[in-house]
Amino acid sequence: MKRILVAGIGSVLLADDGIGPYVVRLLQANYVFDEGVEVEDLGTPALDLIDHIAGLDALIVVDAVANGAAPGAITLYRKDELTRCTPAVRLDPHSPALADALWAAEFYGGCPQEVLLVGVSGESYEGGCALSKAVQGSVVRAVQAVLRELDRLEVGFIRRFEESEAKIWWEQLAVAG
Amino acid sequence: MANRITIDPITRIEGHLRIDVEVENNAVSNAWASCTMWRGIEKILRGRDPRDTWLFTQRFCGVCTTVHAMASVRSVEDALKLEVPPNAQYIRNLILIAHALHDHIVHFYQLSALDWVDVLQIPKADPAKTAALGESLSAWTGNSRMTMKAAQDKVKAVAASGQLGIFANGYWGHPAMRLSPEVNLLAFSHYLQALEYQRKALQVVGMLGSKTPHIQNLTVGGVSNAIDLDGTSALGMDKLEMIKLLLDDVARFVEQVYFVDVCAVAAMYPEWFKIGSGVKNYMAVPDLPLDSKGTAYHLPGGFIRHGDIGNVRGFQTAADAVFRHAVTEDVTHAYYQGGKPLQPWSGETEPEFTGWDGAQKYSWVKAPRFDNEPMQVGPLAQVLVGYAQGHELTRKYVTGAIEKVRSIGGPQVTPDMLHSTLGRHAARAIRACMLAELSQKHWQLLVDNIARGDYSVHNAPVLPNSETEGVGTHEAPRGTLSHWVVIKDQKIKNYQAVVPSTWNASPRDNAGALGPYEASLMHTPLARPEEPLEVLRTVHSFDPCMACACHAFDPSGKQIAQVKVL
Repeated sequence: MKRILVAGIGSVLLADDGIGPYVVRLLQANYVFDEGVEVEDLGTPALDLIDHIAGLDALIVVDAVANGAAPGAITLYRKDELTRCTPAVRLDPHSPALADALWAAEFYGGCPQEVLLVGVSGESYEGGCALSKAVQGSVVRAVQAVLRELDRLEVGFIRRFEESEAKIWWEQLAVAG
Repeated sequence: MANRITIDPITRIEGHLRIDVEVENNAVSNAWASCTMWRGIEKILRGRDPRDTWLFTQRFCGVCTTVHAMASVRSVEDALKLEVPPNAQYIRNLILIAHALHDHIVHFYQLSALDWVDVLQIPKADPAKTAALGESLSAWTGNSRMTMKAAQDKVKAVAASGQLGIFANGYWGHPAMRLSPEVNLLAFSHYLQALEYQRKALQVVGMLGSKTPHIQNLTVGGVSNAIDLDGTSALGMDKLEMIKLLLDDVARFVEQVYFVDVCAVAAMYPEWFKIGSGVKNYMAVPDLPLDSKGTAYHLPGGFIRHGDIGNVRGFQTAADAVFRHAVTEDVTHAYYQGGKPLQPWSGETEPEFTGWDGAQKYSWVKAPRFDNEPMQVGPLAQVLVGYAQGHELTRKYVTGAIEKVRSIGGPQVTPDMLHSTLGRHAARAIRACMLAELSQKHWQLLVDNIARGDYSVHNAPVLPNSETEGVGTHEAPRGTLSHWVVIKDQKIKNYQAVVPSTWNASPRDNAGALGPYEASLMHTPLARPEEPLEVLRTVHSFDPCMACACHAFDPSGKQIAQVKVL
């Protein structure tokens, strides 16, 4: 059995930075995965990220990135690109945490062999609980990118027979006018 | 002519703090602490249901999730005058203690130990001598020759590869690094072992809170843990026994390793008891409530002015009347609109960015003041406030630390010397020992209370239509945290979080008084201004975490402290 983590990273209070947690909830609501696959919203982790990734066979991260591409564009980054000391790409908010955690896991032992960052270029990181239109439009593609990677890793998943509604609580909890 | 040095950002992980210092004759002659970004999260809370607020505040910062959840429910409970059942208090206290132990261990080893430990000296160490040294200092079983050799081999492999990886950013070989190869190796092997023990502490948070990094078991009025002593899914004896084992393990690491290592660093760098004092006003709030009304606490609170610990004043409760009325925030030097200092309930957060100007506005952090004065918060404040009031548990570990430092050949430490960079590290280790001991007590309190047949965990909140205000505090790992809420028509009307790093990273105020980081850096000697290790030592001793101070994330993805000498 392969141990795989699909982690959504980002702040749900900072607009497009919430894309990772958002995609994670869609995956949880609509798919059932093989044993050994965890799908989790990790918020904005720091060093504790090591605890989540150590010992995994593969790690898939969904996060917002500031790489200059058009809002909603999806760019895939592999492990070697993420751990370059002076990254050629500018990776957003939590990339220092992600890179640090990968370096540290490499040093302590237990760094996953396979790492994929599904990076969604954001438009706005201003305080707010809703995704921008452009990033909202990338959600399905981000989900597909995760599923394609799982398929490449030869992990099975099925779409739930009955669709359940994803619990995007930060959008759903009411704000009075 | 003074040289100006800019360090941006200074925290190694979620760094958004910028430090500017002027250096004359190899010593700091002026200092500014600033935060580089703001996103306006507090406004998101307006109009929401006060019972949901903690879910949002928990997302302020990825390091301090638990503490913002806790302060938030406490603020609403204060506003509603809602009592919390004893079981819920003990469960919350255990979560807070476990989180703090995790945080203190990570802070010392992973975030600041390498300010004092020179990794590149480690290959020269003799593992057998290192093991003997370790055994002479502590009863810890993880000091064997083989453990030391394994740690050394890891460093040798990294050094041989030419790729320093996580160690690429250190000031190795700096003249301010002075430990012997053996002490470096001993500390480094504990740096590796620390990872396992911080994880155990976090496991306790997860078991009680049902999830990390975002606990799920809070609710305004208590917790949602179902108690069933024979059950396996609810909180039963099985789970409680596992929690006890984890806490025992963490306590042993804290007392036999963390505390001893800090005393050893203190013994070997005695000059750092004279550097880094700064603001000698201290404040801590009482925490770890022992009853449902919040009238008795295991950790005392209060404040000290101008280093005069003989005139300490205690806070009676976690939302003490003195505290409620004395806190204001000043924006004279912060990028916000506004004039006179405001009390947080009427606080405003309207941004007005004007660019860094040390004489005018230069930070996104507001300047919180207590009765118009800057206050230093954090473990040192808590230890001094407790010590000054004769708090027995605090005195026990302060005395223990003084004896330990002396026994390793260090100076005779007096409480006065704690106003320093090393004092902050020592106080954090002292506080960790206190918390480790208290974790046992609160575990027992919970088990005993359940055994008496009390399974109650929650009192239902009733939201009034009238306007009401509350403050919820928590003496968090980095110091006093307070959430200030105004509720009207059953909704949030205003919400302000005054976080520990805001107190410590505060900019100057309208009277020109420096904040604690700034004041602590004045007169710091620098052996090599272009490698300001000494500045890092003092700033790291506060355990900065700016993500919640300015509620922001730096999108530039800077990974290391960038140092610019102008």
